[in-house]
Amino acid sequence: MLKRTTLALVSLTLLGGALAAPKKVTGYGPLGVVNGKAGGTYTLALGDSPQSLFYYGVIDNNLGLLSQQMFDGLVEFNFANYKIEPALAESWTISPDGKVYTFKLRQGVKWSDGETFNADDVIFTYKNLISNPEARAGDAGNFKLGGQPVEFSKVDDYTVRFTLPRPAPAFLLQQRYFIMPQHKLAKLSIDGGAKPADINGAWPTNVAPTEVVGTGPFKLQSYTAGQKVTLVRNPNYWKVDAAGTKLPYLNQLDFLIIRDPQAQVAQFLAGNIDQLNISGAQFPDLKQKEVAGGAFKVNRFTALFGSPPFVAYNFDAKDPALAKVFSDVRFRRAMQSAVNRERIIDTVYNGLASLPGHGVAPANKAFYTNTTRQLGSFDLAAAGAALDALGLNRKNAAGTRLLPGGKPLEFDLTYGTDSAVYPPIATILQSDFGKIGVKVNLKGILSSKLLSTGQSGDWEMILHAFGDQPDPELRRPIWQPGGALYYWHRAPQPTKDGESANTAKMQPWEKEIYTIFDTAAITPSASARKALYTRWQLLFAQNLPVTPIAKPENIGVISNKFGNYVYNLGVIPGYNPVPLIFQK
Amino acid sequence: MLTYALRRILGMIPTLLLISAVCFLVINLQPGSFLDQYLEDPRVTKETVTAITRQLGLDQPAWVQYLTWVKGIVLHGDFGFSFANGRPVSSLIWERLGWTVFLALLTLIVSWVIAIPLGIYTAINRYGPAATVANFLGYVSLATPDFLVALLLIALVLNTGGSNVGGLFSPDFIGAPWSGAKVLDLLNHLWIPMIAIGLEGVAGLMRQMRASTLDVINQDYIRTARSKGLSERRVLWRHAVRNAVNPLISLAGLSLPSLISGTIIASIVLNLPTIGPFLYDSLLNKDQYVAMTLLLFSALLLLVGNLLADLALAWADPRVRFE
Repeated sequence: MLKRTTLALVSLTLLGGALAAPKKVTGYGPLGVVNGKAGGTYTLALGDSPQSLFYYGVIDNNLGLLSQQMFDGLVEFNFANYKIEPALAESWTISPDGKVYTFKLRQGVKWSDGETFNADDVIFTYKNLISNPEARAGDAGNFKLGGQPVEFSKVDDYTVRFTLPRPAPAFLLQQRYFIMPQHKLAKLSIDGGAKPADINGAWPTNVAPTEVVGTGPFKLQSYTAGQKVTLVRNPNYWKVDAAGTKLPYLNQLDFLIIRDPQAQVAQFLAGNIDQLNISGAQFPDLKQKEVAGGAFKVNRFTALFGSPPFVAYNFDAKDPALAKVFSDVRFRRAMQSAVNRERIIDTVYNGLASLPGHGVAPANKAFYTNTTRQLGSFDLAAAGAALDALGLNRKNAAGTRLLPGGKPLEFDLTYGTDSAVYPPIATILQSDFGKIGVKVNLKGILSSKLLSTGQSGDWEMILHAFGDQPDPELRRPIWQPGGALYYWHRAPQPTKDGESANTAKMQPWEKEIYTIFDTAAITPSASARKALYTRWQLLFAQNLPVTPIAKPENIGVISNKFGNYVYNLGVIPGYNPVPLIFQK
Repeated sequence: MLTYALRRILGMIPTLLLISAVCFLVINLQPGSFLDQYLEDPRVTKETVTAITRQLGLDQPAWVQYLTWVKGIVLHGDFGFSFANGRPVSSLIWERLGWTVFLALLTLIVSWVIAIPLGIYTAINRYGPAATVANFLGYVSLATPDFLVALLLIALVLNTGGSNVGGLFSPDFIGAPWSGAKVLDLLNHLWIPMIAIGLEGVAGLMRQMRASTLDVINQDYIRTARSKGLSERRVLWRHAVRNAVNPLISLAGLSLPSLISGTIIASIVLNLPTIGPFLYDSLLNKDQYVAMTLLLFSALLLLVGNLLADLALAWADPRVRFE
């Protein structure tokens, strides 16, 4: 009897496997997701014209937002817990040594033009686009581990295998890369005999919409230069809702190109846009309008991704006396007591931010270690006393502390002027630092130049932000000493590309962090990795390579006309709740 | 007259070359590079940055980049390509030119049609209450930046429950084929940029027209005309206005470059699909061939505008001679 049931179950599973296997999207009840109905047009804002329609040709957030609706990756995030789930790959196995990844592809998936999706498309995409070093928005760096390339092979029409030269536990998380159609792009690829760089010219914005083919929920309908991009439902999409209804529910997705954030809000209030992500500064006004009876809802979400601002001091500042002070951890700790995080959260973010983690967002259940205590509390007297103890107790007539050489303790704070948050944060820091005899001069530049200025070394103190990611390995160039983006201490960076970092120039705690990142990158055991990154977060919190300030929340506004709203993270491949949205 | 025009046109070539060299220099003196925006993306490694630098030719010395660009224009009419969009600059500009020219011409015409009669009126009725009010409004609109007017108008529309708060069309009509309803929708959106961008022009032109009319009506030949017994209307339109309008013809020629750079902020605030914001972006991102082409184009428009103004002046005013 038991045997027969098992048999029946097995044959049922086999039957299911042989037919097209759409993915059933269920389990989001707690997020308020219900079964919707088909139809409707949903209008979103796009911050500027897309620079191209080929995702691997330009790094462009606006294109990213569009691509997210038109393409899928092998795996994707669960919207609720950020765990990796099957997408175009139905299942996968990882060899015990952590080096061989075998992906079983979903059968019966069709491109939006009706062609069949199979292993050739995956191999094509990885080989010619993602790991092509000439593709401007590829990711070749992630497919060379320890100098050796990752190998891609096709096992059969629906199985692909990636062989890694060494274990890389974050590898699976990264495979959210959008898969592109071989049949449309082959002629511009290396395989098709073109030069490696030619692929960047694929799908310019004036391409015929029928050329842009994907497996995503929507497909391109039209682009009106500088005004609007229209996507329509892809009838071949491979997801269904809990009741078995084909997703997406919506017929059409419009993106209005609106550059100015205030103009976007105006268009939202006028009812021309249905959903918009906003900042803490825009929150009070919209919330007030919602309470007064506006036909929309303002929603707050704890952020996992996103950029928490920090301040950094240049360990290699041009002035040797300043460089010496900045490299001293006691100075950075003293100054942390003069950073009024609560005031910044209250006044700059309107309370819509919380205390930051150290390199890992507090919402990141897989890796976050609670380091709140190490953030200390705002205490100017303690900060002053700590500076006194450092020997910075002499002051000039203006009340500014004097460095050992007799020069006043005065430096520039470089920050971005074209941002809603950097200028007020910079002013608060300047005023509080001034009260303990540290003179800060504000030096405003364009936010887009912050990173290149940081890397040029031509600064003293900087206010900047880098994104949190679900796995610290993904942000290794930022947080591993000697990394390309670890710019507050440039001395350990290798003199030539490809060489390893100069550990001799690292402080002891930096050397330890360096080793932690190298080890965690190849440790297959999840718990061992967590332990390593816990140690890193504690070292970070105690030694403050940078001083994190706050972790802003995500805020989204949505028209009441639509159901199943889940916060739209923006350009995060593998996280796209739009197919669930329906018009009531 | 033909030789004169030809000589002027030939004279433009060295001027434009000089201007393009200066533009290139200034753009290259800016700190940072086009690749700055790529740096923060986790996908971009140092190797990628090197590869892109090579692809874009940014590893070449600046003078080679400049000469290659100029050579492309002279030999092939090729204005280079946009780093950001990976497309030829000319096709990108072409895409945005239609609405830009339409809006610029429309605002120009509207502001002339309003400003010139107002200027004449305020000059003739110098101390009348209506003229004083018009003058006052003129001062205010001169002093108010166009983007502020745009923001105020948007706020006004929002508070009255309207939905035409930017752009040229409602979302449904963008990209739709032309129809009566689409034209109505356009008109419903168009009045905001007309007022916001045109207002400043009206005020300026009105002051100019008023000043030159005042100048002219005290001239001897006006008195002569009056003493000949000509009707006041004939004196005014036949003699005074015809002469007073001369400086405005020059002004009109000078206003051609504002096609490109005149209304950047208002275009951003009002979300107009014009070239201005495109220039702004290319300057910020150091998308150098786009920026240089637009600046060069702007300079060319200034030169052409000047030439046209001189020719028009010669035609309108018999006192102007070519030699």
